[in-house]
Amino acid sequence: MEAVKDILALLVFPGGLFVVFAGMMYEWLDRKLVARLQNRIGPRWFQPIADTVKLLAKEEVLPESVTPFFFVVLPLIALAGALTAVLYTPMVGLEPAYSFPGDLIVTVYMLSLLTLCIGLAGANTRNRFSLVGATRALTQLFAYEAPFLLALFGPAIAAGSWQIGEIAHYAESHWFIFTQPIGFLVALIGLMGKLELPPFDSPEAETEIVAGALTEYSGRGLAIFRIGKGVELVVGLTLIVTFYLGGVANPIVFFVKTIGMLVVMAALQTLLTRLRIDQTVGLWWRYGALLVLLQWAVLIVVQIA
Amino acid sequence: MMTVAAPTTQKSEKFIVPIGPQHPALKEPGHFEFAVDGEIVTDATVRLGYVHRGIEKGTESRNWAQNLYLLERICGICSHTHAFAYVLGVEQLAEVEAPPRARAIRMVVAELERVHSHFLWLGVGAHEAGFDTLFMYSWRDRETVMDLLESLTGNRVNYSACVLGGVKFDINGEQTKGILEGLDFLEKRTHHYLNVIQQDALFLQRTRGVGVMTQQQARQLGVVGPTARASGVARDLRIDAPGQHYNDFNVNMILETDGDLAARFVVRIRDLFESYRIIREILSNMPEGDLVVKRMPRKIKAGETISRVEAPRGEAFYYIKSNGSEMPERIKVRTPTLCNMASVLTLTVGQHLADVPMILVGIDPCFSCNDRSVTVTQPSGQREHWTWEQVRRFGIEYYQRQGGQ
Amino acid sequence: MRIGMMLGDVLRALWQRPVTEKYPFERREAPTRLRGKLRWDPEKCTGCGLCGKECPSNAVEVITIDKKNKRFVMRYHMDRCTYCAQCVQNCRFDCIEMSHEDWELAAANKESFTVFYGKDEELDAFLDAVSASDLAETAVS
Repeated sequence: MEAVKDILALLVFPGGLFVVFAGMMYEWLDRKLVARLQNRIGPRWFQPIADTVKLLAKEEVLPESVTPFFFVVLPLIALAGALTAVLYTPMVGLEPAYSFPGDLIVTVYMLSLLTLCIGLAGANTRNRFSLVGATRALTQLFAYEAPFLLALFGPAIAAGSWQIGEIAHYAESHWFIFTQPIGFLVALIGLMGKLELPPFDSPEAETEIVAGALTEYSGRGLAIFRIGKGVELVVGLTLIVTFYLGGVANPIVFFVKTIGMLVVMAALQTLLTRLRIDQTVGLWWRYGALLVLLQWAVLIVVQIA
Repeated sequence: MMTVAAPTTQKSEKFIVPIGPQHPALKEPGHFEFAVDGEIVTDATVRLGYVHRGIEKGTESRNWAQNLYLLERICGICSHTHAFAYVLGVEQLAEVEAPPRARAIRMVVAELERVHSHFLWLGVGAHEAGFDTLFMYSWRDRETVMDLLESLTGNRVNYSACVLGGVKFDINGEQTKGILEGLDFLEKRTHHYLNVIQQDALFLQRTRGVGVMTQQQARQLGVVGPTARASGVARDLRIDAPGQHYNDFNVNMILETDGDLAARFVVRIRDLFESYRIIREILSNMPEGDLVVKRMPRKIKAGETISRVEAPRGEAFYYIKSNGSEMPERIKVRTPTLCNMASVLTLTVGQHLADVPMILVGIDPCFSCNDRSVTVTQPSGQREHWTWEQVRRFGIEYYQRQGGQ
Repeated sequence: MRIGMMLGDVLRALWQRPVTEKYPFERREAPTRLRGKLRWDPEKCTGCGLCGKECPSNAVEVITIDKKNKRFVMRYHMDRCTYCAQCVQNCRFDCIEMSHEDWELAAANKESFTVFYGKDEELDAFLDAVSASDLAETAVS
């Protein structure tokens, strides 16, 4: 019985099929919202699915001068990391499938695996756009990672636990968006940086470096990276809603909250101009990290007092 | 020769980012090589000529009227400018003067074209900066002027408004009303866009202080049009050489002094207001009379002439030589992009790689306009110019090798 | 210096219909001056040939069957035409015009781009006279 439950959790819900599908739907909603905000029509609901199916069916071109092993394995590691993170996340407001003390840290690092893999995948090729893109992706990783982590750890300190499930239950009665507004903002914008959404899309700025680190990817590898990004979008939004907007809740209410966050993200995407990579780094370290640290200081003082 | 080469030293040791011939930042093929140190550009070279179409040579085997349409297709965006400059030159040679009403209509089309070109550029510039919302909205509003041009001339792009000695169509009362209404809408939107590009903090981060060209540099590099005017160089042919056309209507010089990308945005947007004003003035003082001269000779008197028109991007220059026959002996075109291209190479050095596409787009480049001659670079690195005959023979042999007939 | 200057546009877009036109499903009427497919009126033509002479792409051919009786046929190569309307400008008898209704001219085969205009009896006579090989040549060129 236990084994069946494990397999279901890994392959169907919350991991596996469910989250892959949810990722595509979130991606569609994001694209549709951006399009409507720009007074365009936008894609139909099955567009991300069609894209993925098409990419999976296409031939994968193995460029010269790459290490074939890494070229094939890196997308898989990225997706595996994102899917592992799902298991510890309270998807649609339900209890996480697995839980252990300190799983928050593991989850956050699993999410970073995607960016790391993208950076390595870019550095693996000799394409100059890929190399520049990889440098930028990794630079950006070091820029937003610390503030993003600190922002997610804020609720953990307040709840006095490093376990996502426990923080989620504590958050049910404490809406951290009101007590830790800075952390909420930093986490939301950090997620946009993580997913390389505008205005933090300089690692894949098409007018400068084509598709950035993934320029040489086609077919299956690209599809898997894209699925990974979709999963990360779902996990990231879920974590933010769990931590800052009232924790574990009725699935419908939880879903509505997540969509609300997606709308805010879409609006930010349309309103902001792409930042140069040096501006991104400056923004995160000069404002993001300092503000979160300030909030931490307040938190710790309050906690002790 | 169209190939401008900056000094290249120890190429193999540099990390070179190639942009083009096929690249998402370029809407037309051109090849740039930027040597970068980290994110900073240290050296830049350009190779042009990918869209050389042999138009100048082609004009020599077509008659004067046919050439009008061939030359109009040099540029898809400022097509009227080329037709305008050509008819001006031919009319000078033939000693014919277009009737006043025809001249007014030509100017209306030229200014509407400037409006559409600047809106297009605003969108492209915003897209290169990664501000797609501004791109989408400015192109949405550009449809207004495209529709006006279509209802006025019959086509969205190649208007073929001019004929030798006049224009093809009249502007009637209903169209005047339509244009004025369209302009009111566009003016409102233009005010909004001016606010956006002058005040949006994140957009300014990408434009203010980027690619600064001082007035002295602008003079040295010989830039033209809005690119020069953004650096405080007063260069506008509508004022410097108004000719018969712009003589009757007063044009104000739009100048900015900062010389950075922000100034190039502002200069073009303020140019729009000037165009709106000119169009309104022309429409309210429309001269009466014929649209075409009574007699336009098929054979143009022998002689040579120069005609210049202020295209949306700067000075379009035509040299026309006639030997008295039905066909021109030589037509030489110099488009503004060629004058401005050297500035890209100078300005990008020392800038971030991320700003390179913006600086490139800042001059509003139009590659197919400026590609004229073919330079063949042999694998040994030796460069040579081919004659028309050589190019032709190469083409025939190439297709034979490919198995064609 | 403000952040999000386009906020007004973006919010308004939420209530606005997208401006994108769903073209093949929704068609807008073309302006009356649109230069579409060429139309030729054989009744007025005098066969001067000025239209073909200044056509920049040799798309218009006026073929004389019987000059005395003013019998002409026009062969119009739609695929070569640049829709510049120089022929309309040149015609002194107003027998050429460009339609603003026929502008969706794409076709899957090349033959349909060669259009013959003329009075029925002349057209029949001309087409009979033109041998099959000649037509084939037209299709190739």
